[in-house]
Parts: sequence; C-alpha cells; structure tokens
Amino acid sequence: MSHSRTIALLAVSLLALPIAGSADQLRAADPAPAADVATRIDRLIDAELTATNATPSPVTSDFDFLRRITLDLSGRLPSPRAITLFGLNPDSDKRVRLVSQLLESSDFSRVQAKYWRDVIFSRATEVRSRLMLPAFEQWMTQQFEERRGWNEIATSLLTASGDVRENGATALIFAQGGSAAELAAETSRIFLGIQIQCANCHDHPTDRWNRTQFHQLAAFFPRVRVRPIRDSSPRSFEVVSLDVNPRSRRSNPFQDSGRIFRQLDRNRDGRLVKREVVNSRLNRVFDRLLEQGDKNKDRGLSLAELRALPQPGNANNRRLDIEHFMPDLENPASRGTQMKPVFFATRGQTAEELSDVKRRQLLADYVTSSSNPWFARSMVNRTWSVLLGEGFSMPIDDLGPEREVTHPDAFKLLCRDFVDNDYDIRRLVQVITGTQAYQRQIRDRDVADSAPPFAATSPTRLRADQLYDSLLAVFGSDVSRRSRGSRSSSGSTQSRRRRSPQGRNLVLSLFGFDPSTPPEDIAGTVPQALFMMNSPLINAMIRAAGNTRLARILERFPDNDEAVSEVYLLVLSREPTANELKICREYLAEVGDRGEAFEDLMWSLVNSSEFLSRR
Amino acid sequence: MTSSSRVTLETLSRRRLLQAVPATAIAAGSVGLSDVVSLRADQLRKQGRSVILLWMQGGPSQFETFDPKPGTTNGGPTTAISTAVPGVQIASTWTQTAKVLDKLAIIRSMTNKEGNHQRATYQLHTGYVPAGSVKHPSLGANIAKQLSDPAFELPAVVSTNRTNGAGFLGVDYEPFVVGNPGQLPQNVATTVPVSRYRRRLGLLGRLDGEFAGRGGRVVAGDHQRLYKKSSRMVLSRNVTAFDISGEPDSLKQRYGDNAFGRGCLLARRLVESGVTFVEVHSRGWDTHQDNFDRTTTLAGQVDPALGTLIDDLDSRGLLEKTLVIWMGEFGRSPRVNPQTGRGHYPRAFSVALSGGGVRGGQVIGATTEDGSAVAGDPVSVPDLFCSICHSLNIDPRIERLSPLGRPMKIVDGGQVVEQLFA
Repeated sequence: MSHSRTIALLAVSLLALPIAGSADQLRAADPAPAADVATRIDRLIDAELTATNATPSPVTSDFDFLRRITLDLSGRLPSPRAITLFGLNPDSDKRVRLVSQLLESSDFSRVQAKYWRDVIFSRATEVRSRLMLPAFEQWMTQQFEERRGWNEIATSLLTASGDVRENGATALIFAQGGSAAELAAETSRIFLGIQIQCANCHDHPTDRWNRTQFHQLAAFFPRVRVRPIRDSSPRSFEVVSLDVNPRSRRSNPFQDSGRIFRQLDRNRDGRLVKREVVNSRLNRVFDRLLEQGDKNKDRGLSLAELRALPQPGNANNRRLDIEHFMPDLENPASRGTQMKPVFFATRGQTAEELSDVKRRQLLADYVTSSSNPWFARSMVNRTWSVLLGEGFSMPIDDLGPEREVTHPDAFKLLCRDFVDNDYDIRRLVQVITGTQAYQRQIRDRDVADSAPPFAATSPTRLRADQLYDSLLAVFGSDVSRRSRGSRSSSGSTQSRRRRSPQGRNLVLSLFGFDPSTPPEDIAGTVPQALFMMNSPLINAMIRAAGNTRLARILERFPDNDEAVSEVYLLVLSREPTANELKICREYLAEVGDRGEAFEDLMWSLVNSSEFLSRR
Repeated sequence: MTSSSRVTLETLSRRRLLQAVPATAIAAGSVGLSDVVSLRADQLRKQGRSVILLWMQGGPSQFETFDPKPGTTNGGPTTAISTAVPGVQIASTWTQTAKVLDKLAIIRSMTNKEGNHQRATYQLHTGYVPAGSVKHPSLGANIAKQLSDPAFELPAVVSTNRTNGAGFLGVDYEPFVVGNPGQLPQNVATTVPVSRYRRRLGLLGRLDGEFAGRGGRVVAGDHQRLYKKSSRMVLSRNVTAFDISGEPDSLKQRYGDNAFGRGCLLARRLVESGVTFVEVHSRGWDTHQDNFDRTTTLAGQVDPALGTLIDDLDSRGLLEKTLVIWMGEFGRSPRVNPQTGRGHYPRAFSVALSGGGVRGGQVIGATTEDGSAVAGDPVSVPDLFCSICHSLNIDPRIERLSPLGRPMKIVDGGQVVEQLFA
C-alpha cells in the first residue's frame, strides 16, 4: 500500500514536469520487473502441470510468436518484412523488446478500444446506442493512450453524464438505456465478472447472491436517465440525472385548475382559447385538451370542462421514480419495496440519501476499491483469456465464490500484481505475454483430457476487426479500393475516396461476435463463408493480373517454390511446410496455368481456418 | 400414415434415424418395409411444416387494417368493407385480403405492455422481453430447430431483413438474410466456373488438413463443416428457389412489383422447396404523422401480396402445412394526434393468422367501441406464441439450456387459443 502511495505522490510531482514517457520511468523504478512476475507465474503453472502429468507443448517458433503477438497487441498480421527481420534478429531478448515496442504503439490503444466497444455494445438493450460507437472508440483509445488505469476507466464509465456524441464514457449507460436493472447486471458482469442478474427474479441458483442484493445494486442507478437532445443534428442523446421527482416539481396543471384558469383567462370571459395559452405551459397540450374536453365545441375550455378532463395517469410510471423498487413477485402490479443502495461484494453502503452523481461515484469507489477482489479478478481473468484462448475460470464473465478456478495460485499472483501496479493494463499484458504459458504452441485438447489448461494454446477465431485489418495487411489498400468497385454504380466515388468505413463495417457486421462468449461457442456462419468464397471483393483482390499483391509476387519470383513461400509469408505469416509445398507443386502441375493456380492458392489460404484463427 | 397429416416428433425422429441408416441395411431387411414406405410418403408429401411471418415493421394501425371503427372519432376517416365472411368487415383498403378472409383468422384482442420499438420487436420475435444477460432465440430459430431437416441444402430460416437471431441455438438456425428478395442472395453465385470452384474447394480441404494436423483439428473440423454446408448451398439446384425471375409475369404482378410483393413470392418458393421459416418485412408502419395516407399506401403493397400469397399457397396445397402470420410489434393509439398520426399502442391491437390448421373466417376477441381496450378474450404474446407452436405440433414447454445453464422454455407462460383451431 505504501508503495503505491509513493508512486501516486511521485506521479503528482512529475505532472508538473514536461517529461515525455514519465510513466515508463515509473515502471522502470518498479521493484518487480514484469519478467520476474512472468517467471513466477510459469513456475506455479508448471508445478501444477507436472503434478497432473501434463506435458506442456514447446514454445512457439519466431514466426508463430510474431503473428500471435502482432494480432494480440496491434490487431493485424505482421508484414513479410517484419517477419524476416524478426527471424534474423539474433537478440535473445527480442520477444520482450518487441512486446514493449508494440505496447507503446498507438495500435495497442485502438485495438483495446475496439475490444471494449464489442464487450459493451454486444449486450446493448438500447439499439440506438450504436450511434455513439465512434465517440466511444475515440474516448476509449484516448484512455489507453493516456495510460489510465482500469479503475479510472471503470469510474468514468460508471459516472459519466452528458451528450453521448461528445462524451464517449456514457457508453455503458446509453447501451442499457439508463435502466437501473440492466445497469446493475452489466456493471456486475463487466467489472466484477459476476452474473448477479440471475438473482433479478429469484435468489441465485448456484451462488450465494440473493435477490435483495441485486436490487440493492440497481438502487445505485434509479436517477440516471437517457433522453434525446431536442433538435440535435445529427440526432443525439444525453445522460442526465433526475434528482427531483417530476411529480412533485412539475405541478400538475389540473391539481390547481382554478388558479391556472384565472391566471390565463385574461379577458375574463370564462373560457380559455388557444390565443390565451400560447405563452403558458398548456400551449403544447392545448389542442389535445380541446379535442378531449371541449364538450360544447366552442374551440375553448370552460373551467368545468377543464376540471372534467381525465387526470394524467402517471401514478405508476417508473420513469418518474427516483428510487429503485424491488418488484413484489406475488403481486407484480404493486410498486414493490424501495431499495437502499448497497454494494453486495463488500457490503459497502451509506445512510445518506444521495444524488445521482454521488450514488454512481460511490458505486465506482466500491467497485474499484482494493478491498473488492472481484474487480481485479475479473479483468485479469478476461485479459488472460483473450491472450491464451481460455481463462482461469470460464466463462470469463461468470466468476463467483462458487466457481472453479484453475491454477489458483498463479491467478492470485497476477491479481496482486495488477492491483499493486494501479490496475495498469499494459503492465498486465506485459506480464502475461512474457510467460512461457502464453508462448506455447497450439495443440488440440483431448476431450477426455481432465488436466488443467495452459499446457498448450488453443486456436481461437480472430475478432472481426483483427480479420479486417489482416485482410488490409495482406492486400494493402486494395480492400477499400475494391470495395468501392464491387458495389453497384450507385453512390459517388467522391464520398468513398477515403479509406471507406463500409469495407470494415461490412466485415464487422458479418464477422462480429460478443467477445465475452467462450471461444468454443463462437461458430462461423454461412454468410461469412459465402463472403470469403464468392464475394467480388475478395475475388478481385486475389487476381494474378493487374496491380495486386499477387501480381507483384509472381513478377518478382519467377520460381514457383519461392512464389509459394512468399504467398504463405504474406497470408499465413510463415513458410510453407514441406508437405504444403508438395501439395502446391502438384496443384500447379494439375492446373497448368500459373496465374490461375496461384489465384486458387491465394483463395484457399484466405479461406483457410488457419487464416481466420489466432494460433 | 394414418389420420394425422401432421409431422409428429416420433415420425421426425424416425426420419432422422433412417437418414443415418445405409441403403444396404434397408435392402438387407434390417429396417422394416413400413418404415421405408412411411419415409418415402413423408418425403413425397413434404410434410415438414413451415411458417411465413409477414412483419409489419413499426407497428401497424389496427384501425386501418383488421379492426376499423368507421364513423367514430377514433376511427378517423377510414372506412370498412365487407369480406368473404358475412358480418366481418376490415379496412376498405384491403380488398384482396377481404376476398380470402374465409382463410384468415383475425385476433382483435392482442394485448401487451411494451410500447418501445426495439423491446417490443424483440418480444414479438422471441416471446421474451430483452435481457442483457441472454440472447433469446427467435421463434423462427426455435421452430427450425424442431422442424428443419439437417440434410436440407438451404438455410432453415430466411429473412428479407436483419432480424432477431438464433441466440444460443447457434449457427444452424441463424436467419439467412436476403437483401434483394427475388434475386439470388449476395455471394451465393460463384465468381469462377463451377469446375474451378470445386477444384478450389479441393485445394482448400487439403491445405486445411495440414493445419488440422498441427494443432488445429477442432477449428479446421468446424471450418470444413461450415464450408461444406455453404458450398452445398452454392452448388445446390434448390438455390434457384431464391430467384423469382422464372415465375409467370401475371403472378408477379398479382403479388406486386415491390420489395414486399417479391418477398412474399420468394417466401412461397422457399417454403415450397423446404425452408422452414421465412420472414418478410414491410417497413414504414410507424405512422406518427399522416397515418391515413401512409397506411393507404402501405396497404396498397401488403394487401395484394397477402391476398395472393394465401391464394397461391392454397392452390398449391401448401396452405394446410404453412402457417402465415401477419403482425407487427404493437398497434397504434385510438387517438389521432394533430399531425393526423397515431402513437404506439400495445394495449389493444390485431394479428392475423392463416393456414397451418388455423380455422379461417373467424374473428377472435374484440376491442371496445373507442378501440382503447380489449373487450373480450384477451390474447397475450405468450398465448399467441403457444398457439403458433400448437399449429406446428411443437410443445411450447420444451426447454433449452442457455449458455449459463439456465433452462428456458420455447414459450414461458401463456396458453393455446383453442378457438383458432376449433
């Protein structure tokens, strides 16, 4: 504790100095280098593997390591040039150095932002929240560029207010439409890795959490609202606080109708007409009031007519509630029990009645407090799972005291390190990618295998952004250019001149998935396969003629074996095996036409499961 | 086959069993002859039931469709016409539908609480209100999981627009979206000659086999299955079911030369070829302004398509095993606003059903004279979904395990509206 306080003090004093990379200096002063922690984690994992007679698979080749780490940290394939240089580099520390280099690149921040975009918006119950995707991505990228800790990011996401197009931190609130119950569920799932919403309707079937605790968590959010910003162009929404019950503030015009009538009836003729109410609150509803209440059809309302109008029926409108009520299961129509905000994981609570902003800030404090172990566990388990294809506990967002954790000591050590380093995500990634466990070769897990995981890595599907950026890396700028050409003639080329988002959006809409889903539950779809096999876009890019990558390779390498190697390097980031080379030679001979055969090879590699996998 | 012409779960599982039995086993007599006969009869009669969902996106006004209130303040200027069923009137813009009303059942007493487009659309597609924690499978996916033939070459669920997906039921029941109904879907046609396409698939298979041997066995295996399924569709003769260009011009005219009309004709072709669930969208029913003009325009597209679809299915003997559902996410408010529009109104609205064992020519329930409430026989969303399941001989209480291991019924609560089938 005293250590992190020293760092905090140091950080404050450094803020005044115009030193670039001050964060690096802080890390350098750290008594436990990432590599040491990585070694200790490997020791713990290896001990457990040995105890269960599991044989760890060997460490990856430079080829495989470079592809894996570049996809993980930069979100794309390495270039053939980078592959060659990395292979030739004799430095024994080159993997560690590469990780540091990639962590400093702006690609890292962008990849993280896209990942969290998918985490938050894949579960959006408010569909319109998609309009803020760019704002969120930009904001999240900035958080990573500014090296903000996960605790700071979480706090911003829980406490944000304002225009959703201007403040990307409003993403979580907007994605759930400001609904207290949904926000409770997502807060718990994303920041704690706990599915407390199962306790929404009944006490949790497998965990110790109960229904009351879920609704106490929801009680941190009853005053947050998402509402459209009037006359905004482009259309926008804002997250606001509703701290006063509108039922009491907005005096009901019908409650004191006599007074209002006397005020507005300027000419004292005993009836209100449109002209008299234009500057009053009644103006907006007057036509409707007339329609319903003007019994004698004189285009005006007498006091008797006004009083006879039905009272607005908002007595049971939850949108007006500024407290959270736990529904009564026996009597769903009733209001239920008013809940006080209590944070279930640490039982943190307050006796005061708090405003919206203070409630959410208090919740953020509870969630990110070092006395709440789930905050670190959830992030460590998630990050480990993204990088190794499997978490210490699966699914990654369903932890809890009753859940099984494999390699508990290694997990605990990583969590401790994450907390001690002020929830620094780069540090966490650096430690994990520094382990041998991360660097192991892929291997199929035997179904009957009951040994703990991490003896080998399992291949997982590329996320949609990784796939799109990998296609860009393989085909160069061709992707966006061709995506223009493949569309019908409609639409101006002018608007598509920039590297058009529609190429990416097409791939995102086809290949996107919720990254919290366990890898084995993510399946390919027919439209994906059809796109990769038959889309004019892909087929234009694999042409052997014209200004394509393949055409240039075939020109530069007249020798078929060399050209095959080059294509493998480009698409799969490795050299072909002897057997693959043999298959390719046979195919070339069978087809006869060199260009045609290479187009088919390019097609097959881009359509292969290996290309679509992180391995 | 005996009295029931419906496919029961028993005959379905027997059919699956027989598909797994090699022809030699049948020849050797280890499978009973009666089974083979029933199998063939099954295939000949194509007893697989199917559903066509005509989705009126935005929430169609019941006053301007199946529950007009002519001569009342709330009814607005909309008039009503007589139909093939004496005593039953619908909005006068629905002339073609009026002629086939003896084959339609109207539910005028639908009632629900969701007045938000997204949430109600989700609910009327899945039977459940949205929850961030679980993506409920759409009814189409649930039905396809029960009824579709895994060996069939086309997708089990097809939609003309993006719609609710299979949720945790997975890829096999994910809706296949056709952007331009009536034309071959995107990327279904090969860009190279079929012989070269097959050759490419061969090379892909061999190279993927290499990856399988180096630790990618599971991934490559799944990939091969997906590519097999997809290329089977690309190479299938059935894929021409997506292309309506061969249909007679007169029929195309009757359906209507617009996206919805073409979608309905496509739906008939797909159902005919063996697709289990087809969803066709009509957009623009969210008539907050100019309700009367806009619903007239929309009826000009939906009415001829609906009338022709029912006729066409009936004349081909497909109506008995095809359930046609006409609905949107909610109805519209009785009160007409100053922009001559109607607001969202889930409290009382209409749904129409045809075929699939539903007795046509009847009206279920009613609304009050001002249209603001259900006057009798209220039908909830779960009631409607139970009835749809009943029409298809599916038990609505079948449970599936959500990814978190929570058992979820196809429909939770509700009961079959018996009158629909009486």
